[in-house]
Amino acid sequence: MFDMIFAGLADALSLANLLFVLLGVVTGMIAGAVPGVNGPMAIALCIPLSYYMSPVAAIGFLVGLNKGAFFGGAISGVLLNTPGTPESAATTWDGYPLAVEGKGEKALRMALYASVTGDAFSTVVLILVAAPLATVALYMGPPEIFALICMAMTIIAGLGTKSLLRGLMAAALGVLTGCIGIEPVSALPRLTLGITQLERGISLIPIGIGMLAFSEIIIQLEQKLRSSQGQGPMNFSSRPEDRFVSLKEYWACARTLLRSSVAGTVVGALPGLGAPVASFFAYDQAVKHSHRPESFGKGNLEGIAASESANSAVVAASLIPLFTLGIPGNVAAALLIGAFVIHGMIPGPLMFEQNAQFIYSIYGSLIVANLFLLAVGRMGLRAFCKVVQVPAAVLYPIIIFTCIMGAYLAQYATFDVTLMLVFAVLAYFMRKFDYSFICLIIGFILAPIWETSLQQVIIASEQDPYMILGRPVALALLALSAWIVARSARQGRVSRNEA
Amino acid sequence: MTNVQSENCGYGGMIAASLLLLLWLIPSYSPEYPGYGMSATLVPNLAAGFILLLALLGLTRNMLKARRLSRSGEAAGAGAASAAGVAWGHLLRFMLPCALLMPAMSRLGFIPSGVVFMLLVQWFCGQRKPVAMVLVALVPVLTVWALMRFALGVPMP
Repeated sequence: MFDMIFAGLADALSLANLLFVLLGVVTGMIAGAVPGVNGPMAIALCIPLSYYMSPVAAIGFLVGLNKGAFFGGAISGVLLNTPGTPESAATTWDGYPLAVEGKGEKALRMALYASVTGDAFSTVVLILVAAPLATVALYMGPPEIFALICMAMTIIAGLGTKSLLRGLMAAALGVLTGCIGIEPVSALPRLTLGITQLERGISLIPIGIGMLAFSEIIIQLEQKLRSSQGQGPMNFSSRPEDRFVSLKEYWACARTLLRSSVAGTVVGALPGLGAPVASFFAYDQAVKHSHRPESFGKGNLEGIAASESANSAVVAASLIPLFTLGIPGNVAAALLIGAFVIHGMIPGPLMFEQNAQFIYSIYGSLIVANLFLLAVGRMGLRAFCKVVQVPAAVLYPIIIFTCIMGAYLAQYATFDVTLMLVFAVLAYFMRKFDYSFICLIIGFILAPIWETSLQQVIIASEQDPYMILGRPVALALLALSAWIVARSARQGRVSRNEA
Repeated sequence: MTNVQSENCGYGGMIAASLLLLLWLIPSYSPEYPGYGMSATLVPNLAAGFILLLALLGLTRNMLKARRLSRSGEAAGAGAASAAGVAWGHLLRFMLPCALLMPAMSRLGFIPSGVVFMLLVQWFCGQRKPVAMVLVALVPVLTVWALMRFALGVPMP
C-alpha cells in the first residue's frame, strides 16, 4: 500500500511530470485569461497533444491546464469586466470595481489565494473520500450501474440545463451517437451509414473540439463582428496596499473561504451542476453571512474569495464521481475520461485495484499543480494581464487552425476533421435552439457503459429487464431519477407561469 | 422568430430526425439479432423513441399554452421575446474554408494551403493590418508544420 503511494508520488515528482504540469498550468492560465476560451475548450484542444506524453504526464498536464484556466478566467473578469469563463462571472462583481480603482492586482491576488485555498481543500477531500467510496462502488452490479447512469443523466439534464426536456433529448442524442460503430455482441457495424471510417466508432476528440471549442469560436465571432468592442488597457496603482493582499485581509476572509470551499466541493462531487452554480451559490452565501452585505458588488474582497474558492474547489471534487463510479462530474472530467482511455485506463472503482499507483500519481500531480498555480500566479500576474489585450482577429484564427490540426492529430485522419466540423455545426444549432451540448457529450461518454450494463442485466435475467426493479439500490436510484424529473418539471412550470 | 417559435422549430427538427432514425436508419444499418443477449437495435430505438416522445411532449405543451393564451387574449405573453436566429452566411463563411482545408493540404501542400487559409480566416475575422495578417498566417502554420514534421513525426495531411 505505502509502496504504491510513494511510487505514485515519485512519478508525480519526476522532472518530466513537473514540467508538463507547469506547462499545463501556464497554458491554462493563458487560455482562461482570454475571454471566451475556457478550461474544457483548452482541454479538448490539448488532448491530442497528450498522446505523446506518458499517462502520468498527460493527466498531470490536463489537470494543470484545468486548474490554470479556472484562475485565468478571473483575470479577464476582473480587468475587463468580461469573465473569461462562466464560473468567473461572480468574481467580476467585486473584482471589476476594485480594478477601476486601480486595485486590479490586489483583486487578482485575492482570486489567486482563494483559488489555491479552494483547490487544496477539495484535493484533500478527494484523497480522503475517493478510495472508501470506490470500495463501496465495487459492490454494485449491472442493475445498479444501469440505474446510476440513468440517474446521472437525469441530474445533468435536469439540474445542469435550462430545460429538462431538451437536456434529456440532448443526452439521448449523445447515447445514439455513442451507438455508432461496432456493436458489442454481434461485432458487426451499427448505424455507420456504410461509411467505413465510422466502423471504429466516433472518438471523443472530434466531438470535444467541435462542440466545445470550434462552435464556441463561431458563436463568439458572430457576436463580435456584430458589435466591435474597444477596451483600453487597465491601469494599476503602485501603492503596496493596492497591490498586495495582507495576511490580515486573507484571514478576514477565512470563514468565507472555508464555507465556499465546502460548497464548491459538494457541488463538484454531484454530476452536472458545475462550477458556475458553485460560485454563484457561494457568493450568495457570503452576502447572506456578511456583516456588511451592502459592500458586496462594490469591491469587497470577500466576494472574490467566495466565488473563486468555490469554483476552484469544483476541479478536484469533480474527480470524485469519476474515480469512484466512472461518471464525469462535469464536462472537463468527461474530457479527462477520453484522456484516460487514450492511455489504456478506464476510470471507475476498479482503478483503485488495477492502477492504484497511477491514482496516487494523479493525487501528487493535483497537489503539485496547485503549488505551481500559486507560484506562477504570484510571479507572472502582470504578464498574464497582457493576454487579455490580444485582439480577437489575431487569436481566433489561431484557435480555429489549432482546432483543425488537433482533430487531425488524434488519429492522423482527415475524416476526424470532417467529423469535428459536423459536430461543430450540430453544436452551433444546439446553442441556437437552446439544447445542451454538454448533455450530448456526457450521454455519448456514458452510452457504452449504459448499454453494457443493460446487456448484462438482460443476459443475467434471461430476457427479463424488470429484474432491475427487484434490486433495492437500483430501485432507489431510479426513484431518485423520477423525483428529479418531477421536481424539474414542477419548477419549469412555476417559472413559465411566473414569466 | 420568437422563443416559442424557435422551440417549436427545434422540436419539429427532433421529431423529423427521430422518425428518420426509427423508420429507416436504425433498421437499415443495424445487425440482426444474434439470438442471445439483447438486440442491437434496442438502445438506439430506446434513445430515438425517447427523443420522439419528449419532442412531441414539448410541442404539445407549447401548442396548449398558445391556445390558452389566445383564449385569454394574451397574445404577447411569455415566450414572445425574439430568439437569436441562425446566421447562415456567417456559418458558411467559416465552415467552407475549414471543410476545404484538408483536401487543399493534400493537393497543394501543408504550408501554402495553411497560409492561405489563415489569411482568409483573418480577413473574415475583421483583420485588415497587412503585417499582422502575414505574421499570424505564417507563424502558427510554420510552428505546427515543424512540430508535426520534426518533433512528433506525424504523417502530414
